[in-house]
Amino acid sequence: MMTPDTPGPSVSPQPQYVPGQAPPRVIPDAELVWTDEEAAQIETFRAQYPTPDGAVMKTLWLAQRKWGWLPPETMHLVADTLGVPYAKVYGVATFYTQYFKEEKGTFVFDVCTCFSCQVCGGYDMLHYLEDKLGVVKGGTSEDGLFTVQEAECLGACGSAPMLQVTNGPYVHNLTEAKIDQLVDALRQGAELPFESVTLPQDGDEMGGNRRTDAQAVETYQTPPVSDTIH
Amino acid sequence: MPQVTIDGTTHEFEPGAKLLQLCLDAGTEIPHFCYHPAMSVPANCRQCLVKAGTPIFDRETKEPVLDENGEQKINFGPKLQPSCSLDVTDGMVVHTQLSSQEVAAAQADNLELLLINHPLDCPICDQAGQCPLQIQAYKYGPEGSRFEFAKVHKPKRVQLGPNVVMDAERCINCTRCTRFTAEITETHQLTIINRGDKNHPMTAPGEVFDDAYSMCTTDICPVGALTEDYFRFQARVWEMAKTPTISDFGSAGINVDVWTKNNEVLRITPRQNLDANEYWMPDAARLIYETYNEGRASGPTLNGTPTTWEAAAREAGRMVQEAGSDVLFLGSAYATVEDNYLLMRLAEAVGAPAPQFVDRRGSQADDGFLVSDDPAPNTEGCLRLGMKPVDPALLPSAAASARLVYILQDDPVQAEVLRVEDLEGTPVVLHGTHVTHRTPATVSLPLAMSVETLGTYVNRDGRAQLLRPAKMVKAMNRSLLMAVGTGQSRNDRVGTPFDRWHDEANQVDCLPGWATIPQVAAALGVDLTFKSPAKIMAEVSAQPAFAGATHGAMDLLGVPLETEDADVPQITA
Amino acid sequence: MADADTLLTGQSKAGDWRSFERVILPPVRDLHKIDVYEAEADGYKALKDVVRDGKFDPKGLTDEVKASGLRGRGGAGFSTGLKWSFMPPVDPDKPRYLCCNGDESEPGTFKDRQIFEYNPHLMIEGIMLAGYAMTIKTCYLYIRGEYDDYIQHVQRAVNEAYDRGYIGKNILGTDFSMDLVVHAGAGAYICGEETSLMNSLEGRRAYPRIKPPFPAQVGVFGMPTTINNVETLADVPLVVNRGADWFAGIGPEKHPGPVLYGISGHVNRPGVYEYPTGMLISDLLEVAGGARGGKRIKAVVPGGSSTPPLTWAMAEPTTMDAETLREAGSSMGTGGLCFLDEDTDMVSFTRRIAHFYHHESCGQCTPCREGTGWLEKCLARIDEGNGHTRDLDLLLEVCDQMEGRTVCALADAAAWPVRWGIKRFRDEFEAKCRPTAFASGALGGDGATEQTGELTPTGVPTT
Repeated sequence: MMTPDTPGPSVSPQPQYVPGQAPPRVIPDAELVWTDEEAAQIETFRAQYPTPDGAVMKTLWLAQRKWGWLPPETMHLVADTLGVPYAKVYGVATFYTQYFKEEKGTFVFDVCTCFSCQVCGGYDMLHYLEDKLGVVKGGTSEDGLFTVQEAECLGACGSAPMLQVTNGPYVHNLTEAKIDQLVDALRQGAELPFESVTLPQDGDEMGGNRRTDAQAVETYQTPPVSDTIH
Repeated sequence: MPQVTIDGTTHEFEPGAKLLQLCLDAGTEIPHFCYHPAMSVPANCRQCLVKAGTPIFDRETKEPVLDENGEQKINFGPKLQPSCSLDVTDGMVVHTQLSSQEVAAAQADNLELLLINHPLDCPICDQAGQCPLQIQAYKYGPEGSRFEFAKVHKPKRVQLGPNVVMDAERCINCTRCTRFTAEITETHQLTIINRGDKNHPMTAPGEVFDDAYSMCTTDICPVGALTEDYFRFQARVWEMAKTPTISDFGSAGINVDVWTKNNEVLRITPRQNLDANEYWMPDAARLIYETYNEGRASGPTLNGTPTTWEAAAREAGRMVQEAGSDVLFLGSAYATVEDNYLLMRLAEAVGAPAPQFVDRRGSQADDGFLVSDDPAPNTEGCLRLGMKPVDPALLPSAAASARLVYILQDDPVQAEVLRVEDLEGTPVVLHGTHVTHRTPATVSLPLAMSVETLGTYVNRDGRAQLLRPAKMVKAMNRSLLMAVGTGQSRNDRVGTPFDRWHDEANQVDCLPGWATIPQVAAALGVDLTFKSPAKIMAEVSAQPAFAGATHGAMDLLGVPLETEDADVPQITA
Repeated sequence: MADADTLLTGQSKAGDWRSFERVILPPVRDLHKIDVYEAEADGYKALKDVVRDGKFDPKGLTDEVKASGLRGRGGAGFSTGLKWSFMPPVDPDKPRYLCCNGDESEPGTFKDRQIFEYNPHLMIEGIMLAGYAMTIKTCYLYIRGEYDDYIQHVQRAVNEAYDRGYIGKNILGTDFSMDLVVHAGAGAYICGEETSLMNSLEGRRAYPRIKPPFPAQVGVFGMPTTINNVETLADVPLVVNRGADWFAGIGPEKHPGPVLYGISGHVNRPGVYEYPTGMLISDLLEVAGGARGGKRIKAVVPGGSSTPPLTWAMAEPTTMDAETLREAGSSMGTGGLCFLDEDTDMVSFTRRIAHFYHHESCGQCTPCREGTGWLEKCLARIDEGNGHTRDLDLLLEVCDQMEGRTVCALADAAAWPVRWGIKRFRDEFEAKCRPTAFASGALGGDGATEQTGELTPTGVPTT
């Protein structure tokens, strides 16, 4: 199937919290604190906006980087730290897809399947990953290492198909071989390099990449054919 | 004054007006959901679309441009506009659904969209019958739906807090509830979560929606997504009769609708009065509905033995006559102005000291909104009648030295201004309301409560407001009440076909003060008979402190009383 | 062109584009480093000329930008100088803000990312100039959260510029001071809409706001605000350095300037190309190496997912500027072109776009919240072979119910590709549908197909 699952009875995303029932605690009290450095950073955020609310998104990012995802107690901490209503922070966190409201694998593969990737095999890559890791999108592999998600346009249409790893590095011009390499490298604990993508005109005028400090270089390639689009 | 033409009719308006409110004020209904006059305008339901245009003026001459018929040319924009957020400008021409097929079609389109993911479970929904979505879908919606797909599922039966239950599938995301907690009570307990068609209101994880005004969200919810926990599945709204009256909860003078069925109060909701409670009321003022139904003192008693009203009144009259000027009369901040006035007249007739009342101001915390520090509804009325608060230090000895204590609608023992011992040996005539009264009564003449009587309360701001009977009492039937009253009781006059208001099962055997006090007075030869409470109030309103406060003038919204009078102690809210 | 009543002349309006020298992303190695930018690309010269040497006063700079004909590169194509001039007079008690919109979430668009990576200082210089023109003290640079790596690149560049005194207090020793705050999004397409971007900056759910009031009156944090796209602001130093006439002389008169075209889809050399506006779509296909595998191109999405797709016959004579594309039946959008070859299944393609908008609708307004889901569910049914030809007319009617009825343009953006996808590729849609007695048009369709009781393309007589 080349397109998303048949939209049907969709249920609000898990987890659903019940008013009056304390959600299960994930972060023990002792760890639910900011380090001095983080506290100072939050103060910097605050200073950047005329209202404390302005710093909510940055502080949520800080919390997610620290704890990997945003269990309720971390959102509460963010709210208390900034003096913003807890419900408001929760409403913000649930609006944006990149804030993880549930625990994910160590690495989250956001495979872009939006139309430019779709026509270049984005779904093939998604399904290859699903099969390879034995998960369906949205799920996490048994070893807890990998979560596979279908993502909306990630703004790298020229190097389609592509994916993003855990809200971080982009991996461009995906092929099955490249996915195999990627998964192996991550399993072995490799740091993913920043991939700089050469502009086609740079190829003509400058003989390739314009950055001398790029860790890895990708050139735009003739996009593959989507196996399943036709 | 600037003018706007709505559906061909010209209206004048105050600059700064928004179109929807202007139309509603002018009596033109435009369907809407998210707009609420007390809150910010997000224009998100997109239901109140209208076609609005402004006159075209020549850029150079500034003269209006005319069409071939000599009519002013109007520039209608390419899009329909939500009237709720549209600033009315001079010369604007508006077509609502009444004069534009395009607008009517757009409104029907929007209603179809609102309903595609709505469960359409009106038959089991408590909101049915009073549901803006249901009503407006019937009035302005399409015939049916063309949506043939699975609906989005969301959490149902979520107990958001002690008093509010949510069905998120019914929600149309108008955000009235979240705006209420953000803008009116500022507790910020609710937020919309998720995105797109998975949106719905929710508390923060595990948090309870325990806002003291939480049930106001059920009033403003334009669908059945938020319902009052205590009222769920109690009755269909069309089975009940709704009476516009005043709550006896505290001194704010909250305007309410009392919903009754079979002479039981099942529900209390706020009634709009911008000079009193606006649109709101605290949860606590609703949850007292049971006090009107349960534990009521029913039937007169003599030394604890049931007797007839005549015998009880005769005995009370005899006791008053015997005690003469040694009667200690206690009025009440819970009783109406009319009842207190008659009590004062009775005291005057027997030459007893003027009645005093138990002042409860300061007995609870003021929340700065509709819960004041005074749990009684009519303290201001008592003060304006010239009644003085009792001095708790002197009352016990006064009671002990009196030959009779005559109490109107109060429980001084419960209020801890008297102990039972203080009344030992002193007979008591009590017009009480509940069997739980702790003040012992020699003669008990059960009193009708605020939901059963006709009378006047004066709130903390000096606003005189009219009580209307919502339920029947046994001793005086409804027809009599209607005849003696102002005829402004339940709108439907005879209840709904489902409302067995004539059954005596739930009627309390009690009487209003304005019916019993004249009976007692008659027993001692004093004529306090008035044809109706309205006549009593007509007499009271001759006093400067009550000038203008006739029943006719008070009607549904009340009358502000003069406050210049230096004799009237001011109560600060 | 003067005597032609059509802009669809089939002639390029980009002038001598083959010899065009890139200016937004000039071929300078390591341009992202401030030293290189200063030394080899006239870096911060415009800022020095204007702020320190008084080349323009704020009003003069606004007029110069107005004269250049620069139009917003974020999708709406509004005149940038005019937008700046909407800012109210300076009120010392009222802070005013500039927002630089780097949310870039429109599918098919990936141009701003190249600026973040390769020439961030050009954008920063443009931001500072815009701030000077509007007497602004704080600029928020909003970058979508997915661009995590690129946010870091930009932050590094911003820090460099702070160190050199191009941002901050008393810039270049003058009394002009301005701060630049980089703000990361967190995954919401709607944040690219200017008013929801402001709500996002304020730490709220990113719901678009009703207009009026317009941002220039009541913007972010309730203060006067101007919002410009990244590429738009990156053009400003070029206008200052080379003059409004130079800028206005590139490409068509009404929509001039260099522009970044993001080319994706079935072409041999996809990527971001810098050329004048007014390029023929067929020339762009040529520079992008032609269709992959020698196939025929069937359709083009000219400016991101929300712009109506064009058939190749429609696209071929069309040039990439707002006026011509409007006449052709689409719009310039963000200049992100997606070429689709003859093998592409337009139903699946349209379904995927509908899925995107269903996923990204913020859920504030009824027509969009409910309509996007309906479109997707209906398209899914057709795509899976279970649809009926009458569904196509239903889809068009749902589009009618969505367009122009919401606070922001997301509902329109969701409806257009579906509406025009069906109108322009109806035979493909019908081929996937099951025939019904209510064949297309019989229920009062759009008139795009002949309904005279003849055979429909699916072979069933209409009633």
